[in-house]
Amino acid sequence: MKDEEIDDVLTKAARAPNDLTPQMLQRVADSIKPSLDPVRPLPPTWVLAGGLVMVCAAVSLAGAARAGFTGFAKMDLLERVLVFLALVLLAWVAASEFVNTMIPGSRRRISPGALLGFGSFALLGVFGFLFRDYQTDHFFSIGIVCLLTGFLHAIPAALLGWLLLRRGFAVNSISAGLVAGVLGGLAGVGVLELHCPNLQAAHVLVWHTAVVPLSGAAGALVGWTLRFRAGSSAGERANPK
Amino acid sequence: MDPDSNLEALMARYQQGDFGAVTDLIERISPQLHRFFLAQSQSRTDADDLLQETWLRIHKVRHTYRPGEPALPWFYAIARHVRIDHYRKSLRTAVGERQLEAMSQEPASFANESDHADGLNALLAPLSESQREVIEMLKVAGMSLEEVARATSSSVGSVKQKVHRAYEKLRETMSAAGFRRGQRGGLS
Repeated sequence: MKDEEIDDVLTKAARAPNDLTPQMLQRVADSIKPSLDPVRPLPPTWVLAGGLVMVCAAVSLAGAARAGFTGFAKMDLLERVLVFLALVLLAWVAASEFVNTMIPGSRRRISPGALLGFGSFALLGVFGFLFRDYQTDHFFSIGIVCLLTGFLHAIPAALLGWLLLRRGFAVNSISAGLVAGVLGGLAGVGVLELHCPNLQAAHVLVWHTAVVPLSGAAGALVGWTLRFRAGSSAGERANPK
Repeated sequence: MDPDSNLEALMARYQQGDFGAVTDLIERISPQLHRFFLAQSQSRTDADDLLQETWLRIHKVRHTYRPGEPALPWFYAIARHVRIDHYRKSLRTAVGERQLEAMSQEPASFANESDHADGLNALLAPLSESQREVIEMLKVAGMSLEEVARATSSSVGSVKQKVHRAYEKLRETMSAAGFRRGQRGGLS
């Protein structure tokens, strides 16, 4: 059979009349009527994404203001421009995708998994290009501190982002959590780039970049937990003991 | 009048609290959504419940629709969420989450009364859940590939791939069943 013939069969079958009763439609309309107040639509994506980038910048600057701008001071001009330009661009992409995950029926330019991969590899590329000190002093002990510092700043950034988009509706909470985590992770990397004076290539490549996948994974886990809990509580309501 | 832009205008009026727009939307969208649920539910009662639940959800999040954006993908994205949520909850209470994964990969294994009652459902029975979903959206709702991609939170390429695979499977099934052009209402 040709595609056109299958098309024809499907189209004809789809024309079958629907036996939805007027009473059913009336019941739906009646259930909506009592709470039919005017609502304000969400702002355009660029406004929300801009707000999210500002939140990330604020968290990064606040973190660095508390700990010191020693990393920023140690970088040369090229390093400053490339590192922070990459972070802002990646944060913009992640913020736009976060907004899209919170608005049903939005166009998705990149999947959450691809965003995580793209963000991590883009950072690896920039760091690999810029930092050429291949010594590895106290690789694990200092690295863990940086990873935790970045992650601890990713949490408030992601939470504030979630707060900013609280009027949205995530049709897939795992995807939304993952993207929120990636965005928060970029804020965490921002803190590290502003503060961490260790510009050894291995340290930056491994421990600074690892903040993004760690935060993304944590965000996805939170999204999964929320979905699981929502399902469990609904199940308990449906089957009370 | 372009039916899509009409839907969008109705959505804008719905957001302003116009009850006439709500009833128009319910009359226009409900049959499509009901068919969407019926093709993938175990019973008509389930489909009725899912439709009601979807409208309550739509009402709750109506502010997330943005004027100027296509309305159908927005409706279907919410309907799809409600459907997935419903099956996840029912599977969790009955047989656990593992079956959900299997269900999304394997052809729908539960024959139901609507399968026998409806030609399209019978035609789509051999397809997996995700393939049925995109075919339903394309053929019943008349959505474009771009709109289906929006509704399913995926890329146009992924939708095309699912449609291609669905057509391959339909071709095999229809050929095996000796389906001829011009017949309607089910496999012969």
